[in-house]
Amino acid sequence: MSLSTALNIAKSSLQNTGVQTSVVSRNVMEQNNSDYARRTAVLSSSAPGARVVVIQRATNDQLFRQNLSAVSSWSGQTTLYTGLDRLELYVNGVDNAQSPATAMTQLQKALQTYSASPSNRILADAAVDAARQVVRSLNDGTAALQTFRVETDQEIGTAVGELNTLLQQFKDANNEIVSGTRSNRDVNDALDRRDAILKKISEYIPISTFTRADSDMVIMTGDGTTLFETVPRSITFEASPAYAAGVPGNKIYIDGVPVSMSTGGNVSSGGKLASMLQLRDSVALTMQSQLDEIARGLINAFAETDPDPTGTLPKLAGLFTWPGAAMPEGLPSSLVSGLAGQISLNTAVVDHPEYLRDGGFNGEDYRHNSDRGSSYADLLIAYGKKLDERMDFDPAAGIGNKASLSDFSANSIGWFQGLRQEASRAAEAKEALAVRTAEALSNQTGINVDMEMSMLLDLEHSYQASARLIKAVDDMLSALLAAVR
Amino acid sequence: MKASFVSSSAISEAMRYSLMKTQVALAKAQKEQSTGFYADKGLALGARSSQSVSFNRELERIKGIVDSNAIAAMRLSATQLTLGNISDAAQSFLSVLTTGLSGNVQSSVITDSAKDMLSTLLSLNTSVAGEYLFAGINTDVRPINDFQDPASDNRAAFDAAYQQYLTEPGVDPANPFPTVSDMDKFISQYVEPQFTAAEVGGSWQNWSKASDQLIVSRIALNETVETSVSANNEGMRKLAMAAVVIGEFLSMDLNRDVRQSLVDRAISLVGQAIGDVDKLRSQTGIAEKRVSDASERLSLQSTLLEKNILATEGVEPYEAAARVSDYLSHIETSYAITARIQQLSLLKFLS
Repeated sequence: MSLSTALNIAKSSLQNTGVQTSVVSRNVMEQNNSDYARRTAVLSSSAPGARVVVIQRATNDQLFRQNLSAVSSWSGQTTLYTGLDRLELYVNGVDNAQSPATAMTQLQKALQTYSASPSNRILADAAVDAARQVVRSLNDGTAALQTFRVETDQEIGTAVGELNTLLQQFKDANNEIVSGTRSNRDVNDALDRRDAILKKISEYIPISTFTRADSDMVIMTGDGTTLFETVPRSITFEASPAYAAGVPGNKIYIDGVPVSMSTGGNVSSGGKLASMLQLRDSVALTMQSQLDEIARGLINAFAETDPDPTGTLPKLAGLFTWPGAAMPEGLPSSLVSGLAGQISLNTAVVDHPEYLRDGGFNGEDYRHNSDRGSSYADLLIAYGKKLDERMDFDPAAGIGNKASLSDFSANSIGWFQGLRQEASRAAEAKEALAVRTAEALSNQTGINVDMEMSMLLDLEHSYQASARLIKAVDDMLSALLAAVR
Repeated sequence: MKASFVSSSAISEAMRYSLMKTQVALAKAQKEQSTGFYADKGLALGARSSQSVSFNRELERIKGIVDSNAIAAMRLSATQLTLGNISDAAQSFLSVLTTGLSGNVQSSVITDSAKDMLSTLLSLNTSVAGEYLFAGINTDVRPINDFQDPASDNRAAFDAAYQQYLTEPGVDPANPFPTVSDMDKFISQYVEPQFTAAEVGGSWQNWSKASDQLIVSRIALNETVETSVSANNEGMRKLAMAAVVIGEFLSMDLNRDVRQSLVDRAISLVGQAIGDVDKLRSQTGIAEKRVSDASERLSLQSTLLEKNILATEGVEPYEAAARVSDYLSHIETSYAITARIQQLSLLKFLS
C-alpha cells in the first residue's frame, strides 16, 4: 500500500515537473514579448500527492493603468510635436528660409537698395522679385497649411478605422475571457491579448477601464464616454477631401458624443485623436490667420494714396492686391480668412516696375512722382517706413493686436517656436514617464531568464529525485517479488 | 523574491533607451560644435525665436543701408569735386574781370575767360554710374545744354531774344547799346528771363533739364537726407548769365561806360554766385558728414547686433566640445556595460 502510494506520488511529481517545465519553457520563449505576463505554476498539496492547481499570471493593475495613461499622453504629445515639426518645414522651411518674415526682410532690403538708385531698372526688377517672393511665401504657406489639414484629416480617418478594428478585436478577446472564466478554462493568453489591445487603444484615446463579473471589461474614454460595453460603440468620422482656410473640420463622434481637441503645447488630454484635431483645427487655423494678417498688412502698407495730402482720392490696393480690390471695400480692413492664399502681385508691375517707384497702379491720378524724375525715392522710402509702423492686428491671430508688420511676422515665428518648444519638452517628459512605467510594469510582470533557468535547475533536481524514487520503489518491489518467487 | 524582481527585457530595454537618447543628443552636440549655433534654434529659443528673427532682420537691413550709403557717399564726393572745380573757375573768372576793370586787359582775354567759365559749367553734366549728378531726381537726362553749340536750345533762345531786341523801335542794329540804360534795359528785359525759372515766367528750362527736386536717400533706419545738388541752383544761373553777357557783348564796340557797367554787373553776379556755390559746397559737406556718421553708427550697431545674435543663438564652443566628449564616453560606457551584461548569464554556467 505505502509503496504504491510512494510510486503514485513520484509519478504525479514527474507529471507536475513536466507541466512546470512547460511553463518555464513558455516563459523563456516569451521573454522579449512585452505583452506577455509571466506565468507561474503554483502547486498545492493534497493527499495522496502534490498536484498543479493553477497557472497564475503575474499582474499589477495599478501599474498597468498608470502605463495606459502614460502611453496615452505620450502618444498624444508626440503626435502634436511631430505635427509641429512637419508644419515648421512646410510653412517656414529649414531655418525659417521660406517664412514670410524672411521674405519681408529681403523685400525691405531690396526696397532700400532700390531707393538708393531708383533709376536702376535692374534694382527695380530685384525689388519686384523680392515682392513676388513675399507673395509666394504667403501663397505657398497657405497651400501647405491646407494640404497639412487634409493630410491630418486623412490620418484621423485612418486612426478612427484602426480604432474601430481594435475595438472589434477587443470584443473577441473579451468574449473569450468571459466564456472561459465561466467554464473555468485557462484564459491567460486571452488576457494577454486583451491587455495588448488596451495598450494600443490608449495610444489613440485616453481610456479608463473597470472589470465586472467574469472578468468582463468596460472601457470608457477619458471624458466619460462609453467606448466598449459588451459590444464596441461606433466611432464615426467623415474625412473632407479639401479644406478652405478658416473652416474647422469635421468632428469625431464616439457613441454620438464629439471628441474634444486638446489644447496648449503641453497637451491637456492624451491620445492621438485629440492631438490631431488640435493640429488640424487649432494650430493650423491660427497659423493661417497669422499669414492672413500678414497679407492684410502688406496690402495696406503698399496701398496707394492720393499724392496730394489734402486730396480726396480713396486709398486703393497697390503693389499687392487681392480679389476684393475690385469690390467697393478696396482694402481689407479686418481679418479675411484665406487672404494669404489670395494675395497677388499687381500684374501691372511686371511691365511697369517704375509704378513701384512713382506710384500709379491705379492710374495717373495716383502718380506721386509728378516730374517723372528717374531718381525719385520718396515713395520707396515711405514704403520701407510703412513696414515698420505699428498697425492693428486681429487678436484672434494669437500674437497681440498692435505691432509693426515686420515685428508681427517675427512674432508669428516666435509664437510657433514657443508652442513647439513646449511640445518638445512635454514630449520628453511624457516619453520618460511612459518608458518608466513600462519598465516598472515589465519588472512586475516580465520574465527574468536567469530566474527561469534556476527554476529549471530546481525542476531538474526534482525530476531526478522522483525518477530515483521510482527506481528505488521498483528495486524494492523486484526484491520483494524475487523473495516470493 | 518579488520585492527585487527585474525582468530581462527591462534591463536591455533600459540600456537601449538610454543609448538611443545619448546618440540623438550626440548628433545634436556634434552639429552645435561644428556650427557654433544651436542645432535646432527654434527648439532651443522657443518664444524667443521672434527676437532672433528680429535681430537677423535688423542686421540684414543695416548691412543693406550701409551698402546703399556707399552709393550716396560716392555721389556726394563726386558732387563736391565738381562744385570745387566750378568754384575755382568762378574765382579765376572773377579775378580776370576785376583786372579787366582797370582797362589794362584786352577784351579777348576776358571773353575767353567767360567761355572757359561756360565750359566749366558743362561739368554739371558729370555722371556717376549712369546717373547725372546735378539733374535733381531727373538723373537720366543730361541737365545742362551747351551754350557754345549753335544748335542748342539756350543758344537759339538767346539769339532770338537778341534779334527781337534789335527790331525794337529806336534800336540801331549797328550800335545797339549806345548808353548804359540801353544795356540795362536789354539785360533786365531780354537776358534775365533766360536765367529765371519757368515757374516765375523765365525760360531757364532752355538751359537745364534738371529737376528742382533733389535725390533723397534713407541713410539710417529713421533718417533721410538730400544727397544731390541741382544744376538749377541760383549760383549756377548767375554764373551762366555773367559768362554769357561778358562772352557775347564785351567784344562789341561799346563805349567805356557801357563796358564798365557790363563788367560791374558781371563782377557782382559772379561774386554772388561764388557765395551760392560755396553754400552748396558746405551743404554737400554736411550731407557727406551725415552719411558717413550714419554709416559709422550703423556699423557699430551691426557689431552690437552680431554680438546679440551670437548671445541668443550661439553655443559656447568649449561647452559644446565638452558635451560631445561627454556623450562619447557615455556611449562607450554603455557599450562596455552591455557587453558585460551579456556575459552575465546563468546560461553560461549551465552545461
